[in-house]
Amino acid sequence: MSSPPQSFPRITVGFLVNPIAGMGGAVGLKGTDGLVEQARIRGAVAHAPGRAKEAMVLLKDAPFRFLTCSGPMGEDILRDAGISGFDVVYSSPGAETSSADTREACRVFRSIGVDLVLFCGGDGTARDVFDTTGTGIPLLGIPAGVKMYSAVFSLTPEAAAEILLQQGIGPLSLPLRDAEVVDVDEEAYRLGELRTRLYGIARSPYLPGLVQGTKVVFEDRDDDRARAGIARFLAEVMEGTPEILYILGPGTTTGAIAHEFGLEKTLLGFDAMIKGRIVECDLNESSMLALLDQYAHVRLVVSVIGAQGAVLGRGTQQVSPQVLRRIGVSQVIVVATPHKLTETPMLFLDTGDPGLDAGFGEFLQIITGYRTAQRKRLKRSTGSCQ
Amino acid sequence: MHTKILLDEEHLPKRWYNILADLPTPLDPPLHPGTGKPVTPEDLSPIFPMELIRQEMSPQKMIDIPEEVRDILRIWRPAPLYRAHRLEARLKTPARIYYKYEGVSPAGSHKPNTAVAQAYYNMKAGVERLATETGAGQWGSALAFATKVFGLECTIYMVRSSYAQKPYRKSMMHVWGAECIPSPSTKTKAGTAVLEHDRDTPGSLGIAISEAVEDAATHANTNYSLGSVLNHVCLHQTVIGLEAMEQMAQVEEYPDVVIGCVGGGSNFAGIAFPFAGDKLKGSHKETEIIAVEPTACPTLTRGLYTYDYGDVAGLTPLLKMFTLGHDFVPPSIHAGGLRYHGASPIVSKLVQEGTMTATSCYQTEVFEAAQTFAQTEGFIVAPETSHAVRVAIDKALECKKTGEEKTILFNCSGHGDFDMSAYDAYYAGKLEDYEYPEQLIRESLARIPKIPT
Repeated sequence: MSSPPQSFPRITVGFLVNPIAGMGGAVGLKGTDGLVEQARIRGAVAHAPGRAKEAMVLLKDAPFRFLTCSGPMGEDILRDAGISGFDVVYSSPGAETSSADTREACRVFRSIGVDLVLFCGGDGTARDVFDTTGTGIPLLGIPAGVKMYSAVFSLTPEAAAEILLQQGIGPLSLPLRDAEVVDVDEEAYRLGELRTRLYGIARSPYLPGLVQGTKVVFEDRDDDRARAGIARFLAEVMEGTPEILYILGPGTTTGAIAHEFGLEKTLLGFDAMIKGRIVECDLNESSMLALLDQYAHVRLVVSVIGAQGAVLGRGTQQVSPQVLRRIGVSQVIVVATPHKLTETPMLFLDTGDPGLDAGFGEFLQIITGYRTAQRKRLKRSTGSCQ
Repeated sequence: MHTKILLDEEHLPKRWYNILADLPTPLDPPLHPGTGKPVTPEDLSPIFPMELIRQEMSPQKMIDIPEEVRDILRIWRPAPLYRAHRLEARLKTPARIYYKYEGVSPAGSHKPNTAVAQAYYNMKAGVERLATETGAGQWGSALAFATKVFGLECTIYMVRSSYAQKPYRKSMMHVWGAECIPSPSTKTKAGTAVLEHDRDTPGSLGIAISEAVEDAATHANTNYSLGSVLNHVCLHQTVIGLEAMEQMAQVEEYPDVVIGCVGGGSNFAGIAFPFAGDKLKGSHKETEIIAVEPTACPTLTRGLYTYDYGDVAGLTPLLKMFTLGHDFVPPSIHAGGLRYHGASPIVSKLVQEGTMTATSCYQTEVFEAAQTFAQTEGFIVAPETSHAVRVAIDKALECKKTGEEKTILFNCSGHGDFDMSAYDAYYAGKLEDYEYPEQLIRESLARIPKIPT
């Protein structure tokens, strides 16, 4: 192992692969950690290294400096991809890699200093990486699982490379956006039920226009700018309606609304606001019902969560059908940045009550900027989109 | 059965129709932004030539078109009127659909109808340069052409998002010798102020107007020119409706429905005012006259009817019109020419009083209609025009249901040859359906200026 250099003139990327990602799920096991042998017996084949290589081949001539892990956790993939400009800074002590290796490798990346962590794995890997990097280091995931629900993943391995190959790249010039890391209940998932929880919100690079195709629209290109516009608009609405209690859902877009009033809201929870102040934080179902007893007019402001486009339901279980019915479907305001919407081609509504879902109608209005909204067709858990 | 109904050159109208003369009650006057009092011709003289100011306020019903202007209009006018046989067959409608095709002008839209007249009057007044704004580039290219014809210089502030989206419109302006500047720019105080507040703004027509007005007001040799909204602009566009009326008479028709898209309202005014005049005078009272706007910027259907500025900085006179608020920056739809917060005061008044009606369409709906039109009639229309196409088709489909044999006329205001990226985006499923969150905006709104009435 060569020693890491002290300073990097070029962008430095911490690169790691979870070589066993997705193996357990593919053969019907709950998770993969500790079950690799069993997965292999069932015929599972490691495909994460191959997926990672698809991306790395395209980065062969890119002006990046890679820090990586030994063997199948990175080194082998970079070598296979024809990349020589890398340093191995972490070696797994065990024969099989585990989530502990992912976390430890990220700790080493962080202590040396990287501009970005590029990892290949699934939602579990994203969680492990995020646990160490937090929002301090941008993350980008090369998808290697069967399904990826965290928004830190690019659509394909090639897309991950494309994002990093943007012109004018430099440590500070990567456009970043918020990307949810979600926790999927794997057991429920195996039983055919998708149950996710918002785990955290990472910062992730993206390619403006990648999903926009030929359309070049300024306001769609900058996630933070759009978020600021949404927040300013909603703050003006709230100022104009001092009699209404606003329940703000999880996420940074709703967080930005609280920021307009100089307030910090619970990132992953629901907070109640009225007249520019927070009256209660991190609400659960019963505290929401109590507030509904107390206030005559209540509105719910929620954003689109994760890459699967959930609006209500997944990850927002606090808003039970009873809560939603009392608030009233017409009093739900959905917010999302235009970029977020382009990433979520179908919006999903699953309140747990088909009658309530139907109350939203065929289309949903989403506030996407200052005094601006988009109309999107809704998909429901019980039916398909037309 | 005619497909193309043509007029000889001598039938090019000799006079414009001034609907102000036929309004049952006078238009509320424009107000001075400083004093709140009705503007006088002297107030407008720093940026407009006196002849256009006279036209803006004229009570005269028919106003002569100068021969020098007619000479230039003759390059493409009279514009053809088409009977949309193939579209009718596709829709299986009993309705008869006619469209006036303004895409035959050098700039490809109705805009040169007024650009030529405005450049002419400015030239006669000894003005050396015109400053203007442009949204999608239709107006800018039209004025570039017109100023070149009459030997004036031309500076065009082009809304930044369109400047990036429509590079070939910019190229046309260059061919005709105009200077094209993305707006907001640092050339003006108004532009600089916007950029200081928001460096990445996509720009808007309202901002670009502020820049062009400031440019004109601060340069003695320069006047301002506006491509829509104002009375004299609508006046110059009436050649469209006057010709259409004569062409329809040739085939013994009179429209039951007249349709045009509305941004500021000039192409709509052009096709509609002569027919609206008949309606106001008591003949053809049943004619349905429909203004079509985008749901992204629904000025006539969702706006307030009140006095507001024509621009973002508040430099223009206050106009009584439907408005979404002069600080509203509409989403960047491809129909960039329809991204305007206000509308022609005359159109506004006629909608308010019920002589005309207004409706709005989603972006994807209008492109679907434009595709049907292109695949039957052949012409690939501008995204703005596709709004009129949408409603014409919808009206024809209504006739199919009711069995009514209505005569539908719409203004096919321009071609879409420089809008192919918008069509690409439509086919790629990347067009957003924007909406105007009306209730929330009303709750948040305290920005319309308070005018003593």
